[in-house]
Amino acid sequence: MKTMPNQTSVRCMIQRWFPNYPNARVVEIHTDTTDFFRVGYDDVVVLGERAYFIRHNAKEGRFGLDDEEKFWVKRAFDLADGSRKIIKLVFHERFSSRIGDIEFECFRSPRKEARILELVGDHKNFMSGYAIPDEKGNIVRVLDFIYGKPLSILIEDIQSNHETYFHSEFPAILERFVGCIRAIRFLHEHEEKHGDIRRDHIIVDRENEHYRWIDYDFNYRQRENIFSYDLFGLGNILIFLVGKGDVLLSNLRREKHPALHRIRADDVNIVFHNRVADLRKIYSYIPENLNRILLHFSRGANWFYESTDQLLEDIETYRNSVEKIESRLKSDTTGPEENPPKIRLKERFADESIDPS
Amino acid sequence: MNLSTHRNNKKILIAVNTSGNSRRAVSYVSKILRGFSGFHVVFLHVIDPPEEDYFSCRAEEEKWMVQHGIEIDRRLDEYRQIFIREGFDPKALSLRKTLRYGPSVAECILEEQHRLGCGTVVVGRQALSRSEEFLFGSISSKIVSHAKDCTVWVVE
Repeated sequence: MKTMPNQTSVRCMIQRWFPNYPNARVVEIHTDTTDFFRVGYDDVVVLGERAYFIRHNAKEGRFGLDDEEKFWVKRAFDLADGSRKIIKLVFHERFSSRIGDIEFECFRSPRKEARILELVGDHKNFMSGYAIPDEKGNIVRVLDFIYGKPLSILIEDIQSNHETYFHSEFPAILERFVGCIRAIRFLHEHEEKHGDIRRDHIIVDRENEHYRWIDYDFNYRQRENIFSYDLFGLGNILIFLVGKGDVLLSNLRREKHPALHRIRADDVNIVFHNRVADLRKIYSYIPENLNRILLHFSRGANWFYESTDQLLEDIETYRNSVEKIESRLKSDTTGPEENPPKIRLKERFADESIDPS
Repeated sequence: MNLSTHRNNKKILIAVNTSGNSRRAVSYVSKILRGFSGFHVVFLHVIDPPEEDYFSCRAEEEKWMVQHGIEIDRRLDEYRQIFIREGFDPKALSLRKTLRYGPSVAECILEEQHRLGCGTVVVGRQALSRSEEFLFGSISSKIVSHAKDCTVWVVE
């Protein structure tokens, strides 16, 4: 498309993918996206040589606000091939954010997201797309839509009890999450940070089950360690995955959980004091070497991970220990009907554990 | 100079910013060293500008740098005056600014300490909660854990 599309050509393109689109409707065509409120449903945004048919604004829950509409983020269709896209327009937002009892200054960064999109290319653990300036130089990001659900929903949808989940499904989930940690390491190696690591910012791609990071435009005034906030996010997700969801003190109290009396002030998340980090006190079959990793994100931690390499090393040590035990079990001559591997695995870890009380 | 032995020299680097912690550190060192001769003090400020994405345009970024430069020059001179009032020879006091390079302010400070051959590094402790230190890091803690071949003073 070397010339600016006109009404006729745009309507033709739209009707190719949306045959019921009314012939007589005048299409609002935008090449300047500076005022993103003006870019609305049924409009077309032209960027470079491509035209995008705009649908609804995206929505997201953040910090207690469910389904907040993001007016600068549009769902769209690429009129060249009908593929679904997410189009992020420029919004130089600065705001104060609070996490736990800590307040810090944050800002949206189209340039950061553009840099990361170029850096990651088609990496299987990142959303893909590209950035292009519009007519006024606004850096618009066009992202390939990922068909799938957030990792948080995937975990919440698992019906099995925790023990079954931990032995059957968690190993594969952890393996995929390790891919996500390596992906963040890749960013850090290139002096970039994700900036907004959350469990709902990993989408489980339905086509290939890859775990893919999204939303890289969040940024904050960095201080001494520019990667530690990312590491904190990774730790939170790991605790969430090990626990098959958040283990909240309020829920334990409501259920009069028998482990409640063992929970100390140091056992909770270092920032979110309502979440238990020392999960072995709740689920005693969690191996000590895995639990130790979680404790690095607890209030009682006296040492914090400084890099993704350190976190990965400890996770690999845990995973290797599990593999060794599983291969030892497989080489035993006892039949599976008499001694199911899962129970023997639990007994093994019980032998190697330290009584948490 | 044999850098491996410079921990015993009388060259002191005080890492400062515009905070009250820095002023306390400067005041403390000036009082401790008052009356002793032979010390050379370097006041070092690592300029840590917001990332480019913080600014909506280049002009805003340049304005920030200019304003910050004016403010920090004023503070550095104030710190120098604190020492002069305690009787120090102005020729024994140096001011230095550098832009943050790399992911860590603490590492920049230690790099400058090494380059300048300072035997002692002084830094004020920020009043960070454990959560803040966890999320964002602590310059003084990092200096203490990563410093080599020098002495570190952390002033509360």
